Amino acid sequence: MRLPAGERLLSTDALVVGHEGAAILPPLTMTIAAGELWAILGPNGSGKSTFVRTALGLVSPVGGKVEARPGLRLAYVPQQSSLDAIFPISVFDFVLMGLQGPGNVTLLGGRGLGARAAAALDEAGARALARRQLRDLSGGQRQRVLIARALATDADLVFLDEPTTALDAAAEHEVLQLIETLRAKRGAAVVMVTHLVEDGLERADRALLLDRDHGVARAATAAEVRALPEFARVYGRFVARSEATP
Amino acid sequence: MTDVGGAPSWHELWSNLAIFKDAIWVGGLAGALLGAIGVHVVLRRMVFASSAIAQAAALGVALSFWIPALIDPSGHAAGHAAGPAAHVAPSLLFEPVLWAIAASLLATLVFVANPVHLHLTRESLLGFVFLASGAGAVIVGDKITQEAHDLSAILFGSAVVVEPGDLYMVGAATVLLLGGHAVLWRALLFAGYDPMGARVQGMPVRKLNVFLFLSVGLSVALCTRALGALPVFAFSVLPAMTALALTARIGLVFVLATLIGALSGVGGYVVSFRGDLPVGATQTATAAALLAAALAFRFVLARYERRARTTSAPRTDAA
Repeated sequence: MRLPAGERLLSTDALVVGHEGAAILPPLTMTIAAGELWAILGPNGSGKSTFVRTALGLVSPVGGKVEARPGLRLAYVPQQSSLDAIFPISVFDFVLMGLQGPGNVTLLGGRGLGARAAAALDEAGARALARRQLRDLSGGQRQRVLIARALATDADLVFLDEPTTALDAAAEHEVLQLIETLRAKRGAAVVMVTHLVEDGLERADRALLLDRDHGVARAATAAEVRALPEFARVYGRFVARSEATP
Repeated sequence: MTDVGGAPSWHELWSNLAIFKDAIWVGGLAGALLGAIGVHVVLRRMVFASSAIAQAAALGVALSFWIPALIDPSGHAAGHAAGPAAHVAPSLLFEPVLWAIAASLLATLVFVANPVHLHLTRESLLGFVFLASGAGAVIVGDKITQEAHDLSAILFGSAVVVEPGDLYMVGAATVLLLGGHAVLWRALLFAGYDPMGARVQGMPVRKLNVFLFLSVGLSVALCTRALGALPVFAFSVLPAMTALALTARIGLVFVLATLIGALSGVGGYVVSFRGDLPVGATQTATAAALLAAALAFRFVLARYERRARTTSAPRTDAA
């Protein structure tokens, strides 16, 4: 069931993330609502992964709390490099994983699972790849399949970890379009960890800027984040350079 | 009747099948069980784990022989005088299979624990378990010279005949654990391939991992007691590798690994009988030979496919 836009899905209240009880970022209060696209920005080692893992409930917060809407369905799209190529997983089997969860751990006895996986592949434009091995695909094709699994979950909130890393310009554009589909057609909220500062801010409604070294954790609209002095300190010269490039 | 050179004939094997059939069954069942579970072991890059657990099981069995002698040396010696059956299992407390299971489960804790807190990798802890258990088994084995033959059988496998109890336990473990794995294979695959994605979707990843590690620990312990550490390590690695070399269809990989494991267990026993060779070694060699054949098949197939692609590629005429 599609949630109305603006419905609160997940919020943090003075959330402090860190490792083994030690905070790495200042307290953060933010709310992710249905239909929103968030970009999480920050240099390498800025605490992006730690924040995502904490928000997803995989790591306990050092302080504060994360509150999720009751019955919230979550999905996570990993970085391609985190999937071990030794596993012989077909595209179809991978998308079937999106249908596994507390109600169907084994995938035994579920009706219409194949049709749901096929529909997700269709939506991601990856139906023709169904019988191929995930490890044999190009980076762009693989990212489409990863997003197809998120579509199969029918999640309300999808976290994507660096979905455009190591893609060429055409594949990058395709993937960003697909993420837009995920949000527009499905009404899902999308949180995207990205190194594409310009594209990320251009497409996102809201952004979260993290910088562990300078103690920055600021969530606001994309335009507000772009105007932050902290943003200029981290990205200013790079953004200026990319804007100057035709 | 024996063949030229003194090796037992097919007829001898057939006519004495009643004596050997339990050992053949155990070989086949253990091969099937460990072959299926081994797919997860290989895919999760835990190959060293089954070796370490098998060594721990062997140490457990060695301790079950040594500790009674340590506690009551005179009684143990009297047991020897009374005959082999009197000292091998003086009481249920010192039943070797229980010690094998206990030692295996202790070794399995290494998987469940998170070694990151110790600033160590899981592989390094497994190396520790393997080396400490291996050294322990040899040292304890040196102290129990009377049972040295039993210990050698546990380490390298010479299960010409097995106890009926071993057959029942390996049989029960095969039915229960293989059944559990048949139901949970997709869940275990998801938990191993993309643990973070699986946890986010609400999959019970920790419980699935505990089930996998316990099933590895239990099956390795029971099969080590019956067959020996060497073939158990072989069955938990080689059939899975063979299946992965033959096909990329993951469901078929599990089926093939189960069948190849069973074939290695039974075939290895028959080779041992016909060649008058140690059972554990021939079971291991059979599994290794099947892997070598599968790799050769892959190599030939890849060359054929490459040649076919080159032949079918459109030609460009020279100007």
